[in-house]
Amino acid sequence: MLRLPAFDVAAPRDLPGALHLLADPNQGARPLAGGTDLVPNAKLGQTRLGTAVLLRNVGGLCGLERRGDHVWIGAGTTLAELATDPTILETCAALGRAAARVASPQIRNMATLGGNLCLDTRCRYINQSEFWRSALGGCLKSHGSECHVVPGGQGCVAALSSDTAPVLIAYGAVVEVAGWRDGQVARRELPLADLYDSDGTRHVRLAPGELLTSVRVPVPGPHVRVGHRKWAVRKSIDFPLISVALRLELAGGALVGGRLVVGVLGPRPRVLDLKGLAGRPMGAAFAAELGRMAFDRCRPLPNIPYDADYRRERLAVEVRRLALGLLDDPPHCSDA
Amino acid sequence: MPIAEPLDPAQARRIAVVRLHVNGQAHAVAAPTHWTLLELLRYQLGLVGSKQGCDKGDCGACTVLVDGLPTLACLTLAVAAEGRHVETVEGLGVGGEPHPLQRLFAERGAAQCGFCTPGMLMSSAHYLDELGRADAPVIRRADIAAALGGNLCRCTGYTKILEAVEAAAQETCSRAQAIGDGPGGAA
Amino acid sequence: MTGPISSDKTAAQLHRLAQDDGRAEAAPLLGGRHGKHDALALMTGAAGYTDDLALPRMLHCKLVRSPHAHARIAAIDTSRAEALQGVHAVLVGSELPTPYGVIPWTPDEHALALHKVRYVGDPVAAVAAESEDVANEACRRIDVQYEVLPALVDPEEALRRGDVKIHDDNKHGNVTKRVQLAFGDVDAALAEAPLVIEGHYRFHGSAHAPIEPHCAVAVVDGKGLLTVWSATQVPHYLQRELSKVLCLPMRQIRVIQPAVGGAFGGKSEPFALEFCVARLAQKTGRPVKCLYTREEVFLAHRGRHPFDMRYRTAFSADGRILAVDSRALLDGGAYSSFGLVTTYYSGQLLAAPYAFGSYRFDSTRVYTNKPACGPKRGHGSVQPRFALEVQLDKASRALGLDPFELRRRNFMGEHATTVNGFHVGSNGFLLCLDAVERASGWRDKWGRLPAGRGIGVAGSCYISGTNYCIYPTELPQSAVQMALDRSGRVRVFAGTSDIGQGSTTMIATIAAHELGVELDDVRVVAADSDLCPVDLGAYSSRITLMAGNACAQAAKTLGMRVREVVGEAWGVPAERIVLAHRRATDPEDPNRWMPIQEAFILAEGKYGLLGATGSYNTPKTGVHGDYRGGTIGASPAYSFTAHVTEVEVDQETGEVRVVQIWCAHDCGKAISPVLVEGQIEGSVYMGAAEAVMELHEVMPSGLRDPRQRRDSGPGRDGLLAASSLLDYRIPTSLDVPQLSAIIVEAPDPHGPYGAKEAGEGPLHSAIPAIANAVFDAVGVRIDHLPISPAKVLRALRERSGTC
Repeated sequence: MLRLPAFDVAAPRDLPGALHLLADPNQGARPLAGGTDLVPNAKLGQTRLGTAVLLRNVGGLCGLERRGDHVWIGAGTTLAELATDPTILETCAALGRAAARVASPQIRNMATLGGNLCLDTRCRYINQSEFWRSALGGCLKSHGSECHVVPGGQGCVAALSSDTAPVLIAYGAVVEVAGWRDGQVARRELPLADLYDSDGTRHVRLAPGELLTSVRVPVPGPHVRVGHRKWAVRKSIDFPLISVALRLELAGGALVGGRLVVGVLGPRPRVLDLKGLAGRPMGAAFAAELGRMAFDRCRPLPNIPYDADYRRERLAVEVRRLALGLLDDPPHCSDA
Repeated sequence: MPIAEPLDPAQARRIAVVRLHVNGQAHAVAAPTHWTLLELLRYQLGLVGSKQGCDKGDCGACTVLVDGLPTLACLTLAVAAEGRHVETVEGLGVGGEPHPLQRLFAERGAAQCGFCTPGMLMSSAHYLDELGRADAPVIRRADIAAALGGNLCRCTGYTKILEAVEAAAQETCSRAQAIGDGPGGAA
Repeated sequence: MTGPISSDKTAAQLHRLAQDDGRAEAAPLLGGRHGKHDALALMTGAAGYTDDLALPRMLHCKLVRSPHAHARIAAIDTSRAEALQGVHAVLVGSELPTPYGVIPWTPDEHALALHKVRYVGDPVAAVAAESEDVANEACRRIDVQYEVLPALVDPEEALRRGDVKIHDDNKHGNVTKRVQLAFGDVDAALAEAPLVIEGHYRFHGSAHAPIEPHCAVAVVDGKGLLTVWSATQVPHYLQRELSKVLCLPMRQIRVIQPAVGGAFGGKSEPFALEFCVARLAQKTGRPVKCLYTREEVFLAHRGRHPFDMRYRTAFSADGRILAVDSRALLDGGAYSSFGLVTTYYSGQLLAAPYAFGSYRFDSTRVYTNKPACGPKRGHGSVQPRFALEVQLDKASRALGLDPFELRRRNFMGEHATTVNGFHVGSNGFLLCLDAVERASGWRDKWGRLPAGRGIGVAGSCYISGTNYCIYPTELPQSAVQMALDRSGRVRVFAGTSDIGQGSTTMIATIAAHELGVELDDVRVVAADSDLCPVDLGAYSSRITLMAGNACAQAAKTLGMRVREVVGEAWGVPAERIVLAHRRATDPEDPNRWMPIQEAFILAEGKYGLLGATGSYNTPKTGVHGDYRGGTIGASPAYSFTAHVTEVEVDQETGEVRVVQIWCAHDCGKAISPVLVEGQIEGSVYMGAAEAVMELHEVMPSGLRDPRQRRDSGPGRDGLLAASSLLDYRIPTSLDVPQLSAIIVEAPDPHGPYGAKEAGEGPLHSAIPAIANAVFDAVGVRIDHLPISPAKVLRALRERSGTC
């Protein structure tokens, strides 16, 4: 059996306790909620783990509720809960459907929204055993200095394979982050779109010891439509090979704004603003134009295990179909 | 199997006592902190029904119910099961009688090599639980396939598994119906 | 499911078989819809797979593997590992220097690499330690110095490069086997035929991916008896090779095969772990276990060979096959494995169910620096079957013939001899074609489906075991010992390997059928070399036919004794007594019966302990051609299959959705129809997955730009592209088409009750049926598998000239 390396475990009872542990630079501490990303990565020796800080007893991280013009979702909410929650399905259905497409039923029961947003980046050269990576000679993300995806590349281009990040960016979600400063909890908020960096070795812009604690999703107005599409080879278990989200802001049958968010390209989702298309009438021609735009402006890399050229072709089709679906469907609840 | 690792002082603190319920029985088990629930079940409690197939959450052979939900034991730290109620395939039957799923899987040829079967049964059992709780249960082949979407089988092509679960679902529904219709039923 | 289909003649034969047995009518048990004999053990976690075994004081073994695809081992220093607390023994290749190989003519493997490593993952050293963690740490402390050699991962290159030899002492460069055989005047037929179809086909590599990883446990007792439990499908060959490599007489080795969690050919030869746990158990005096990680399963491999095939097929104007001419290059990987047989099978198994006017094949298998390929379900014949059945589809289009009609016109007939000299007995191929044509609604769909939707047909043939054992012997291929006891129970000791296919159920069904007990009254002790007679193993689809015959023989012997004794007691002829449902009865006097237990007691009283043996050996004369290699692929009986597949192709994405597959399979006689359906469904699923989804690939092909390739360096070439069940994508329950299994029964005189194989044949034509359906749907041929969306899209663009 592939074994976990030895590590310490701590099970703090509250947020200060957790943050205190996570902030200790000597602990090599990592937060562990569902464990569906951290545990396999630790088994593969890809993530070094000094102390696993179990978040299960930490209050205030779970649950979701509508608070005025937005929905508050605790980072510890599982993807299975998101996928079936009536509030989510009523206010931001595309998020629920994106969550329902993550991995497998078992993983959705375990995995949390916070974990899916902070998912480690993935690459065919990194999600491999220690043996495999040593045979490769390492890479930028694993004891090496060479990128095998982009020969000569200086920055790691491993891909963020989150199913929920693109759709939440499309909703304009804001994340709340907590850290430990001067002996107390320090909180800050930032747009989810700003959470990600283009360096695949540290693509989540959290300071050491910081924890993503909740997400606020603004409830879209009646003229906003948000949708998500995922493509993977298999209809279950797989990470996305394409994950796109689209937000259309409409007035009188024409576009006034919006954004297309493309995941699984590199370490951060690509956000394409649609302001330049304002005034376009909604219809098949618009959908095709969006598809072409995605094709022209996104270039999938051979980082995740699938034909990159095909992914680019497919992206155009998926974006077009996503747009068509949104135009046909009632507001903000379309999906593949 | 006892823990036979040579212990240096640094490692001694890396043993935890995990208290949990397995198949209704309370246990307190000493386990290294880096052990998974699957290792605890298989190698400490001798509950070898839950299988190790892929090492890291890709196949579902280790599926057990944790607090009633299908969970991958190979990705669950043993210490994270503290206080939880775990159900494994060994706890599926009642009083020596096989669970309807076990009987139907057997009759319908839903297991060939049987290695994915325990995990498959646990996911199926959860599907039946949910179905039994529904106000107006509807049995759909697509829902069954979705419920088993995290359990890989390499022998059957899934056909006979889906048939067996569907038959069990029909039994569940007709039983619920019978209870509902019966004189003492809380319809 | 539809009931079994059989011809009238077949039914008559069956009736006669039943009467031969002294039965008034066929018993419902044999051929009845029962589940597996051992099913409840599988349902409760009680089945006991190898890794479920935990012995007192058991040590854990881990292997050190090469990070280089090709290198010489300059030095190994194990001292740092040996110094680690908790390490009990370290093993290196020089301690087990005897080469082995499942085929006795090509022993080119060592338990641990001796002087050279030949693929990334080749095992170099092994450790036995108190725990897996300590063993892993010890492995990290073993220092191996390598001199890196150029790696050959491309078979064409391996063929060309005379300067780099993967096996130094191999005679012909990197060629492990070449087979050239010709039957009839192929050139003349090609020159004169009105239609010649030429095609270039590529079949990719694929893996077995059983859900259970390989695992072995060994222990040595005080007298030096070595016991090895292993997740193997060939316990007998394992015992032989252990004997050879460990220099231990076979009588001192006991091999036990516990429940196996799937194999599909991937566990059909000895692997490093079995030799290592055995030797480490000898060295330490303690039980030793080794459980492969999933990555190690992919490294051990023995998966389907990638084939590059060129076919020319000549047809008459009315669609008869005048000639088949093929050239194939087989990518063998680092070792021979079953490769000698694979190379023969690549040509020899193709010449039925169609009559070839003439036939020639030239197949070459080369070594490459990759995990070794071997036998996967449908060994060696799945790849050429794909090519041939697509060739036939192309011909039917060219000739304007319905592809069913083309196939029927070329039907070889039953009790006929193939162009390469194999005698084929029963042959239910036409029944299979009829069945899938009807079930699929072919006539309403062919040429009438909307654009993007298509339907395709293909047929195939497979063996029910081979006439010759892997090693030269005149001894039986299978045998059982059987005993009845005074409790009314039947005990059967059989060497058979149940790997999930249900051989134990087959044995129990035959024994229960002959002896009048219920399935639960039969105790089958199987695959334990101390307790059971030899059976060669679960490969080549041989068990039902061979062990089934052996079991029927023993059971009939005992049944006759019981009937004699009962007949004597009642004063009626033994032939009149019927044993069924735990009773002995006299059908002519319905009031007279006795419990079967009483009958057994009567018989034991007369004969003493009621024991009998049965054994089976294959016919050797008149069954194959008299030429070098003519015996390889000859079988006592052949199974036949036809598939119809309906697909939907998304013309914007190129994605193929297989909607439904109808598969009719002639298994001779379904002893346990539920299990036969399971074999058909499982085979079809596996074939369909190979056609459109699965891909076992080694870098750099398709992954790295060939211009960037290096000849040496730290193992850049030869890494597995997919070494987990996440990256090696096998279908989930949401990815499978609707599968319709149809049992066809054309009983074979050589099969027990007419039975032939069902476990491998139904895979073959699943693949070309999909390829042909894709053509029907969108008019493009994807001759290079798998049929990926990218390839379909490219082909669609090329056709419309918009690439």
